[in-house]
Amino acid sequence: MTGKLALNAKGLSKGYKIGKLKQQVLKGVDFTAYHGQVTMVMGPSGSGKSTLIAALSGLMKPDEGEVMALGENLWKKKRGKIDRFRLDHCGFIFQGFNLFPSLNATQQVEQVLKYQKVKKSEAHRRAVEVLDAVGLKHRLKQKPAELSGGEKQRVAIARALSKMPSLIFADEPTSALDSVSGQVVIKLLHQAAKERGAAVVVVTHDPRLEAYADRVIHMEDGKILSDTMISGPPVIV
Amino acid sequence: MSLALSTLIYEWRRYLAAVIALAVAGLLVLAMTGMFMGMALSFTATVDKSPAQIMILPPQAEGLFGDSGQPRRMIPMVYEHPGVAEVQPMIMNWAMWSNFPKDGQPAKGDGVRVVVVDPVKGAVTLPSDFSDATIEALKEPFAVILDRTSLGKLGVQVGDKAKMNGRTVTVAGVVDGYPNMFNTQVFTSYQTAKLIYVADDGPRVGPLLVKLKDPTRAKQVAAELNVLGAGQFKAWTREELSKSSQMGMMKEGGIAIMIGFMALVGVFIGIVITWQTLQGAILANIKEFASLRALGVSMGELRLIIIELSFWVGVAGLILTVILVSGVAMLAKVGGVPMDFPLFLDIPVAIMLMVIAILSGLFSLGILKKSQPADLLR
Repeated sequence: MTGKLALNAKGLSKGYKIGKLKQQVLKGVDFTAYHGQVTMVMGPSGSGKSTLIAALSGLMKPDEGEVMALGENLWKKKRGKIDRFRLDHCGFIFQGFNLFPSLNATQQVEQVLKYQKVKKSEAHRRAVEVLDAVGLKHRLKQKPAELSGGEKQRVAIARALSKMPSLIFADEPTSALDSVSGQVVIKLLHQAAKERGAAVVVVTHDPRLEAYADRVIHMEDGKILSDTMISGPPVIV
Repeated sequence: MSLALSTLIYEWRRYLAAVIALAVAGLLVLAMTGMFMGMALSFTATVDKSPAQIMILPPQAEGLFGDSGQPRRMIPMVYEHPGVAEVQPMIMNWAMWSNFPKDGQPAKGDGVRVVVVDPVKGAVTLPSDFSDATIEALKEPFAVILDRTSLGKLGVQVGDKAKMNGRTVTVAGVVDGYPNMFNTQVFTSYQTAKLIYVADDGPRVGPLLVKLKDPTRAKQVAAELNVLGAGQFKAWTREELSKSSQMGMMKEGGIAIMIGFMALVGVFIGIVITWQTLQGAILANIKEFASLRALGVSMGELRLIIIELSFWVGVAGLILTVILVSGVAMLAKVGGVPMDFPLFLDIPVAIMLMVIAILSGLFSLGILKKSQPADLLR
């Protein structure tokens, strides 16, 4: 799978109005991401990295530019189709975990699978399997209040991975975690890219994560400053 | 278990205000109607506890209230049916009551409703729950029987003497289950009724009480009697009459308006509080909803979660209503206040509560617009 283009964005621009001032957050950004690679987007706050992944993942429509995701023109689709695209292909991991307090780890995962119309027994099997894969086999019945920050994030990863997504977006996945938990989380994301061939896009300003990246993109002021391939250039198909 | 239900159970404190608001709205309406129904029931107590299976009323009467009486010659007409065992007119009349105040006791004077019964076991005019002792007591001339709750109102104790229409009577005993909010009921025998000038021998009589040889045939005999009467009277089974009398009570203008107003206030308060509580609770989980949005769950499916949540809030509200209303009913029983909660009121109130809950859920849907997954990216 390595080397196949998963995301190809051209000329992305986005501005926000704050009072009377219009601030340009993205200034004509071109972006690509490949299957089987962890692409890390780094930069200071306000550099536009979160806006970039919002536009890449179909969460926020850019003012200009287009996004080809898995060969489909994302922003040409209707809203419902974009939802459907995310449901079928995208996994998200946020800084704040965002788990329902009333559901235990297994139910968190099953909840999402339910919307993919996965059968109950199959959803349960997959939830247990994926939680086992992120090392939470002993935590299946725990609710978020009984889990540590690292464990919560691993549940969130399990929730994203259970859908078997081709695109995984992670926004500051480690910034609320201690260094050990952070390592576990980034290793899991790395594994998802290598073993499942997913294109993983990680937004972070944690330099420790660079060790797990195949490619590091630096952003500042809505533009890409540098783009470094670490694990050798992929074969472009 | 669904997400909505497990959220309600896990975060019940958040939803408590909504559940209580619903329950109080339900209680408000049910307690009001329950009291009016209880009043109606105390009017019909003498019918409900009569051993008669059929009552005969004038053809135009819709219940016990507003009965204008009928000619006495209807009695032999009813006897014409071979299934009839006994026919007696129900005699109710008015008398002036006053007590003989003891030292320091205030003098009480009141108009009372005299219910005339035959102190013979199994007599058609004698309520079926009167004990043998009560029947014996009624056989004495000038003996009267009161409901226990009327003692204070009439200023007497059992054994005391009192004045009715200027003649001295003795309170020979008490019965339970005949409280009346408006007019106190006094039971006497036909003999005593004559002595205190309330027995009515005139050409017109009140409702006729009919006892059948075979009580199980009440419905059929009633129908046959109506054919026999050819429109001169109408025969009701006891249950029909009791229900129709209660309904008639509800149709009395003022009561319906009051209950309607109460229901409106209840619905309004219920909706506002439930809606606001639901909104607050949803807002507390808005990031979780947003993360579902990000993962591709559509807005429509999130809306379904909210509607389901409001449904369960409604169910919880219903359960609490049942608990509160049972509590009130128990208190009322202890206090001797007649209350009744017939199903034809309970079901609409239950439906009303569910509608309030679901409407509040619908109103709360707007808040989901705040579940912008892009906001989760920082």
